[in-house]
Formats: sequence, C-alpha cells, structure tokens
Amino acid sequence: MAASSTVTAQAPARGLRAFLSKNTNIVTFVVLALALGALTGGRAFGLDSIQNLLIAESVRAFAALGVGMIIITRGIDLSIGYVVCLVASVSASFAQTPDYAAALYAGKDFVILVPIAAGLMTGALCGLVNGLLVAYGKLPAFIATLGTLSIARGLQLIYTKAAVVGSLKQPFKNISQGSLGPVPYLAIYVAFAAFVVWVLLRHTRRGTNFYAIGGNPVAARVSGINVERELVMVYLYAGVLYGIAGVLQAGRLGLANALTANGMELDAIAAVTVGGVSQTGGVGTMGGMIVGVLTLGIINYGMTYLGVDSYYQLLMKGVIIIVAVFMDMNKNARR
Amino acid sequence: MPNDTASGYVLEMLGISKSFPGVQALNDVTLKVRPGTVHALMGENGAGKSTLMKCLFGIYREDSGDIVLKGAKVKFHSAKDALVSGVSMIHQELLNVPDRSVRENVWLGREPMRSFGPLRFLDHRKMHEDTAALMKSLDMEIDPADRMGGLSISKQQACEIAKAVSYDASVVVMDEPSSSLTETETEHLFRIIRDLRSRGVAVIYISHKMSEIFQIADEVSVMRDGRMVGTYAASELDEDGLIRLMVGRDTTDRFPPVASVPGEVRLEVRGLTAANPRSFRDVSFDLRRGEILGIGGLVGAQRTELVEALFGLREVASGEILVDGGLVRVRSPRDAISHGLGLITEDRRGSGIFPLLSVTVNTSVASLGRYLGKARLLEHRRIESEAAKLNEALRTKTPSMGTQIQNLSGGNQQKVLVSRWLMTLPDILIMDEPTRGIDVGAKYEIYTIMAELARNGKSIIMVSSEMPELLGMSHRIMVLCAGRHTGTLEGKQATQENIMRLATQFV
Ligand SMILES: Nc1ncnc2c1ncn2[C@@H]1O[C@H](COP(=O)(O)OP(=O)(O)OP(=O)(O)O)[C@@H](O)[C@H]1O
Ligand SMILES: [Mg+2]
Repeated sequence: MAASSTVTAQAPARGLRAFLSKNTNIVTFVVLALALGALTGGRAFGLDSIQNLLIAESVRAFAALGVGMIIITRGIDLSIGYVVCLVASVSASFAQTPDYAAALYAGKDFVILVPIAAGLMTGALCGLVNGLLVAYGKLPAFIATLGTLSIARGLQLIYTKAAVVGSLKQPFKNISQGSLGPVPYLAIYVAFAAFVVWVLLRHTRRGTNFYAIGGNPVAARVSGINVERELVMVYLYAGVLYGIAGVLQAGRLGLANALTANGMELDAIAAVTVGGVSQTGGVGTMGGMIVGVLTLGIINYGMTYLGVDSYYQLLMKGVIIIVAVFMDMNKNARR
Repeated sequence: MPNDTASGYVLEMLGISKSFPGVQALNDVTLKVRPGTVHALMGENGAGKSTLMKCLFGIYREDSGDIVLKGAKVKFHSAKDALVSGVSMIHQELLNVPDRSVRENVWLGREPMRSFGPLRFLDHRKMHEDTAALMKSLDMEIDPADRMGGLSISKQQACEIAKAVSYDASVVVMDEPSSSLTETETEHLFRIIRDLRSRGVAVIYISHKMSEIFQIADEVSVMRDGRMVGTYAASELDEDGLIRLMVGRDTTDRFPPVASVPGEVRLEVRGLTAANPRSFRDVSFDLRRGEILGIGGLVGAQRTELVEALFGLREVASGEILVDGGLVRVRSPRDAISHGLGLITEDRRGSGIFPLLSVTVNTSVASLGRYLGKARLLEHRRIESEAAKLNEALRTKTPSMGTQIQNLSGGNQQKVLVSRWLMTLPDILIMDEPTRGIDVGAKYEIYTIMAELARNGKSIIMVSSEMPELLGMSHRIMVLCAGRHTGTLEGKQATQENIMRLATQFV
C-alpha cells in the first residue's frame, strides 16, 4: 500500500477563502452590516444604536440557544413563544409592588429571588414535559410542542385571568434594565449563557451525544447512548433558557400580558437556521446561533433605522432569511 | 444492442480528473468499455472507483476530461440525464426510500401514468404488474407491495438490481452489488449479468471479492491511488497477479495464523428465543476466552437477529445470557456495553456511521466516558490521538481526522467503524460481516487485529457470509438455519460442504 494511505495524507484546504465558504452565515452578517453602514454613512453604528440592538436581541438569543440545541438533536420546538409568555407572567406576578391593588398577590411582598426562581422553574417544567413527550411518549416533536404551545397559552390566560400583570418592582426591573458602564446587563447574561452552551456542545460528552443523536439516532443507540435521557435533557436545558428569557422579558418591559413574546419561536428558529443549524439534525454551533440572532437583529434594526414601512420589513425579512439559508445549504451541495 | 460506434467501445472515459478539498480522487483516468462485456473495475479502498462512476453518472462533475457514450460526447448534469441516455447504476450504498413500497421504489421518478381527460394520475395497477413481471423475469421472489425498509438488506439490494436492469440501459454500473449477498444470491446475480451481456449490455462491475472477478469478468481495469494502472483481459490475470496490480507490491498469506488457545467460558447462551416468532428460537452456545466463533448460514438464517438480540437491540422472549458465569439482562446496547460487549452492525449507513460528523467523533462516540478530564469535560487531545492511532493501524484513508465520514470511501467508513469498537476495549466483540466492502489488504489488517485480540484473551463472534473467512479465521463455526442452531463445526469437520449441509438442513 502506498505511503499516502495514512490518516494524515494531506492537510485539508485552509486559508481565508476556505473559511469564508464554510461560514456563509458570517459572510451574510458582515455584508448586511456593511450595507447598513454604507447606507447611513456609519451613523447607524453609534454606541446608542449598538446598545439598543443588543438589548432588543438578548431575550431572543436565549430562545435561539435553546431551540438551536433541540434542532441539533433533530427536534423542533414550537412552544417557545407561549412558554416564554407563561414564564414572564408567572415571574411578574411575584414581582408586583405590594401596594398595587390589582396585583395577583396583592399585599404580599416577595423577595426578589421568588419571581426569578418561579420563572425558571416554570420554564424548566415546560421543557421537561416537552422532553418526556418526545423521548418516552415517542411523539413527533412538532406535534408534542404544538400541544404544549396551546397548554402554555391556556395556562397563561387562566393564571392571569387575561389581565396585564403590571406595576413591577424597580429592583426586579433593574435586573434587565441595568447596565455595567456602557454594557447592558442583558448582553452580559447572553454572553454567559452562550459560553455555557459552547462548553456543553463542544466539550462535554452530552454535547457530542446531541450531535450523534441528530446525525443518526439508530447508530447513536447502537453506540450505547441513552437516547431517551439525552432528549429529555436537551428539552429541559432549552426550557431553562426559555425561563431566563421570560424573566428578563418581564423585567425589560415592566409587565407581562398575553402578547408577550408572541411569535418568538419563529424568530428563534429563523435565527438559528440562518446561523447554519440544519433542520436535518447533527449540524450547528453556538457561534452560528449567535451570528444568526445578530443577523436577524441587524435586519430588523437596519430597516427600522432606514425608516422602512413595517409591512415591507416583514416581507424583506422573509426574503433575506430564505436567501441566507439557500446560500448556506448550497455550500454542501454538489461539488 | 448494435455495436454502433467506430471505436468499438460503447463507453469511453478519457483523461478524467477530479479533486475534493485535500484529495486528488482521480488523476487523468481513462476507461474504455466494450459492449456486451463485463468489465471489472478493481482497486483498494479509496482508489477512486466509486468517484469515477459517480462522474459518469452525473453525481459529481469531473474537473477535466471527456465522457464519450456510443461515439458521442456527453455531459450529464444529473442522474436523470444519465438514465435517459442509457446508463444505469447500482450504488455502493443503498439509496432507497424505506417507507415506500417496492414498486414505488422501482419506478421512482418515472411512474407509469394514466390519463383522465386533461388530468394525469399514478397508475398503481400498472406499476404493480410491471414490478411483478420484472421480478418474475429475474427470478426474484419479492412482493411489489412490501415496504422496502421491511425487507432484509440483501432483498433490498436485489430490488436495486432489478431497478437498474429495468432501465433497459446500454451500460449498467454495479458498485459492489454482491457485498450483502450470499453465495447463492450472487450466483443468481451472475445469471442476470450474463443475460445482460448476451443482450449486448456493457456491465461495469466493482467488487472486492477476487473469486467473483474471475467468474464473471471479461476485462479488468485496475486503479490505484486515483490513477488507472491498466486494463487487462481477465484470462491473462490470476488472483495473485491482480492483487499485485492493486496494491503495488507482492502479498503474502490471505489469513494470519490464529494462534490463541481458547480458555474458560466467557459467554454462555441458553435456549435464547426471539420475541418475534418468525425469528430465531432455542439457540444455545458458548464462547470462550481467546476464541473466535464464526457464525455461518444463508440469508434468512437469523444470524444478524441473534447477535442483535445479544446486544439488546431485539426483544427476547425466553432464554438466558451468562457473562463470566453470571446471569445478565441485556435490554439495550448500553447494558450490553457495560457487560463488555461490542457490536459492529452489518448496516453501515443505517446503524453505523454519523454521516456529517468527523472521523474522530465517529471513532470515539462509544467510548467518550473514558476520556473525561477535569470537571468531566472531554479531553479532545487524547481522544483525537487515540482515534488517529486506531485508524492508522487499520490504514484508514482520510484527508484528516476532522473530515466528515460521509466523504470517505465505503471501505474506509467500515474501517472507522471497526476502530470505534476497538476503542471501547470490549471483552467480547461481535462483528457482523466485518469485512464487507473492504479491500484485500485491509481485510488482512482486520484479520490480524482479530487474531491479536484473541491472543490477548478477548473473545470474538464473527457473522460472515464469506466461506474462506469463516474457515480461515474461526476456532469453531456455528451454523444457523431458519433461526435454529443446526450444528457447530470444529477442526477437520469445518469444511465448506459441512457448513452448506447444516445451513440448508431445513430448506
Ligand atoms: N464527497 C467527497 N468529498 C471528499 N472526498 C471524497 C468524496 N468522495 C470521495 N472522496 C475521496 O476520494 C477518494 C476515492 O474515493 P472512492 O469512494 O472513489 O473510493 P473507492 O475506490 O470507491 O473505494 P471503496 O472500495 O472503499 O468503495 C477517497 O480518498 C475519498 O476519501
Ligand atoms: Mg466505492
């Protein structure tokens, strides 16, 4: 056998070009950012503007990290919007000022930890239910999470009696609204969560298992992976991330109602897909997810900045998402 | 089919080159095929055989070179173009739609239609009847209405063959069509091929089974490292000469000596009966330390079902499994692995590889538990070097350890799977058709590793449809027929005749 038949025969192509053709998601983001910069003569990138962009996208980033991991395991989660809405409502209900007459627990003053814990637990519980339905109930993720979507929505309306949960305490709001120097707290939380997700996906056995399950569930089972348990865990982790998103959203807006976070699942799924997380499973990275969120963010923000009519904004957003994903997929096509 | 070209060739591939990132898969390759001949294409794993055929079939686009079909230059942009022009192909990997019926799979993309005024509908009846007629003409017993995924791998392969034949092509490419067929089925395939040949069809035949080549081929082209070594008449070659051309050096024995002496019983199976009443029943045997136990039988003998049950992949109705004298319950592969078992499954694509993941991950995925460092984080460096070491020992050919496994040639994917289970350090390794699709050189490496494992006190169960391999590597050969254990052969009794006698006891 020739000497070349070893593992390290030739190094794969390297260099900037190879990097860019592999990471079309980053290219898309940079192109959009440059376009916006050019159109506004750089004015769109003042400190204020960047802060606003980060604040606006932060909450969505948690949802994206959660559903991104789920999609890596070949799943999907449609319940995000209403789960985040339910979490926000539950969390807010424990953070209302005690002297507010219309408060759900009027007259009661909870320490700040209560609304946070209640929110996280609600999110985790929803994720756990999704996970159990998918892993042990063997329901298709699409159907299972469609069910929990409706349940979460119903629970939210029952719990709040369809009223706005408002008049939240300032310390609670400060968790979301504060900033460290020029850096909004929200951006710091996202960075932290993204780091944890990166470690999980890249450096733990469970992360590798997620990719394996998404890549070939039968082979994963044969390789001794406890597929059911890992699936429960991925939905649970996602639930916790939705929990964080809900708590922060309540604090950011200072209230929660039935419209909070509506449609967030679509934004989150679109973001991670633009970021290169493939619906066929087994593909995607934390970095890609965040780039996807920023790409969608810059689209939203840029069009608002340029004064594009909001109806046209929706239309443009759809087109850009389709083009971005099309380019990303074609890099894997025929060579 | 008339020999209508001046050159006398039905197909000419001239100076084809093709590279992938990091690999020059084809380098100025020329292949000329005459009508009405069987043309064998030979070469080691990763030599470029499948890539060349994929260029012909329009799946890959060659970087340079020309394809001349029946005297005219052609450029296929898709498989459909190729099919329409009279080139059909049986792919190395099964490419079917498991959840649809056999007939739908056979006519996929060219379903017979029925007009109803301006509307056109699928003609299910015609589809069924045509499929039945096709199967009958090929002597295959397959119900057109069966679900494809429910058939055994070898029946699925038979369907692929039927489909390729049904295109009425002038060139039929068969990329390792026999790799999941038994000898009787291969005989059957050869009858079909001879019939095609007598009708003037050119058959390009790829296989790693030497004996087949001399049975069926008229001409042999040999590839090595992406280049064409040459084309020879089959009659002017012998087996050793062919192997020399393929590997570029002389080869010695086909099997290494298995020197180990079996010791005490490691695994004992008593009266194992599958939950599925049509599967195996009342199977008992034992496996000793340092022993290689071959399992032979025809397709349908339930050999795969038996080893999958041992590994917790199939439900068992009754019977006992003892490991080192202790009764164990194996309800999932996880249980099996914890008792020191490993299983290389026969269905590489279905239950083996993770196509989009790297060679490293594909190798290490079943043993990550041993590579947890501080805070239970993965020790990537150790994982990678261990995975690379194993693959190097088997001479896996890959551009790098980070390459997606789907970009490796079929035989090299199989080597990665062997590495995966070696990495789990199993006490009892079950190998279901371990050398399927692997070239002669690499077969020897795998046999050597088996012999070495046995010498180090490991036990091996090897399911195989290849007689020479069963006879050459096993201490004992257990034969199944129709789900029952019909006998175990040892020493002088282990002969091809005896195996066949036991394997056909109930048929
Ligand atoms: N899509 C691809 N991307 C990158 N490299 C590829 C791709 N397809 C094939 N190769 C490389 O091209 C070389 C030739 O592969 P090919 O599949 O043609 O081998 P083969 O002769 O059919 O081997 P086998 O007997 O194992 O099937 C291999 O080194 C393989 O890694
Ligand atoms: Mg091949």
